[in-house]
Amino acid sequence: MLTYTRLEIVRLFRDRRFTFFTLAVPVGFYLLWASVFKGDGPEPKSGLPLATYLMVSMASFGAIGASLSATGQRFAAERASGWLRQLQTTPLRPWAVVAGRTVASMFLALPAILLVSLIAFAAEGVRVNALHWALMVLLMWVASLPFAALGILIGSLVGPEAAQPVTLGCYFALSILGGLWIPVSKLPSTLRSIAGWTPSNRFGNLGWTLVSGHAPSVTTALVLVAWTVGLAALAVPAYGRTLRAR
Amino acid sequence: MDAITVTNVAKSYGTVRAVESLDLTIPVGQSLALLGPNGAGKSTTVSMLLGLARPDAGAIEVFGDAPSTAVARGRVGAMLQDGALVEGLTVKEVVGFVRGLYPEPLPLDEILATADLTDLAKRRADKLSGGQRQRVRFALAIAGAPKLLVLDEPTAAMDVESRRTFWASMRAYAAGGRTILFATHYLEEADENADRIVVMASGRIVADGSAAEIKSRAGSRTVRFTLGDQSAAGLDRLTGVTGVEIRGTTAILTSTDADATTAGLYQSGLTVQNLEVRGADLEEAFLDLTTDRG
Repeated sequence: MLTYTRLEIVRLFRDRRFTFFTLAVPVGFYLLWASVFKGDGPEPKSGLPLATYLMVSMASFGAIGASLSATGQRFAAERASGWLRQLQTTPLRPWAVVAGRTVASMFLALPAILLVSLIAFAAEGVRVNALHWALMVLLMWVASLPFAALGILIGSLVGPEAAQPVTLGCYFALSILGGLWIPVSKLPSTLRSIAGWTPSNRFGNLGWTLVSGHAPSVTTALVLVAWTVGLAALAVPAYGRTLRAR
Repeated sequence: MDAITVTNVAKSYGTVRAVESLDLTIPVGQSLALLGPNGAGKSTTVSMLLGLARPDAGAIEVFGDAPSTAVARGRVGAMLQDGALVEGLTVKEVVGFVRGLYPEPLPLDEILATADLTDLAKRRADKLSGGQRQRVRFALAIAGAPKLLVLDEPTAAMDVESRRTFWASMRAYAAGGRTILFATHYLEEADENADRIVVMASGRIVADGSAAEIKSRAGSRTVRFTLGDQSAAGLDRLTGVTGVEIRGTTAILTSTDADATTAGLYQSGLTVQNLEVRGADLEEAFLDLTTDRG
């Protein structure tokens, strides 16, 4: 599994244009939002300065995007091309393919989180307790797991043409419902009641609370773990099934 | 010990019966060609041997294990029909990666040399020509030094020259006492590269034997000579003749007893020139076997 993970990481970063866009989008949006809302007071719920709050929002947005795009369409394309079927004639087992891909996509999520933080520090003068920041990066990195699992599930269920729009749809839905673009309090009430159950909202929550120096709630951890386990439990058999279909 | 035992296996896709009551035993070290037209059930058989498809009924063992276990243990290497290459890696990286998945692989240099890829090692695998890509896929199949090599129509995308070098590489690999199973609908490939030929049609085995046995089972030979402007009347009444065909000035007689037919021909009073007696080639044998199922 480790050799496969390493191979996938090499492939991800060798695709320069792909890596560039995946990392540039959250940074670009961060700079945009930060300048749009410049001068506004701190975010009311968390009490964080807006530039800091947005740093976490866009780091979440970037990490989710990286996890989904490193898996979804790429996985669907490799499935259609027969490469994944070829892999299944080697000692590498289906669970190891899913696990290897998931871990590899985390290696693209990490620079997304780091880069947004770095730009926030350099361009917007965001200052956070170094330990709190380090904890945020580390835990958000681990918590990007459910999104990678979701990407693999999409890549296993949907053909290569449909995989991109489906992935993008999930990406935007998760970002909006999760309150990464607009604070949850500004969402219509029906959406607001769903928000707390989404992995993206809990993902952002994890970052916001850690940055403010608090421990994330048990609910946040449970929701994220539940999504990870649930999506992985769907992704492994979905992938196995596609290999057997002719 | 047998490399493969298939016992009474059946497999359907929806309402299509791909394979029916298949029985096949392949001893270790044999090179076996699975010969048949498209839709004969060859690819389904290959998929089941690799654990990529599960039989609906019956049992398959590969070196005494279930196919997926044998694959997981690194005993099997495969070249699939649709096995494309991954994007973004060099030949050496892809081969090195697959090699690393097996417990006792071949040395990297040896793999590249066997598949004639030494000069292409640093090239991007997804940017090679069709024939070169097939060589990479062959390299992936042998990388782990598998005891069983399964090839599904390996030369489908190759030109004549690539085919020749490919089969030379394959025979070099097989020479180490390894078991080879390849599916093909190129008849001369089966004839030249296999110890044993199993002919499949409509999901069943219709013939099983050496190339010579397959030909003799189909039975007939052809007697051809230049007829010129002589009459063809009476040729069909010669001993053993089952068919008469006139192509231009040449008469082609199909016969179950070529000796008697030739003798009769010389006694017939015709002027016989350029006489040629040939065993039906495998192609004809194959057509006989696959179309005469009643």
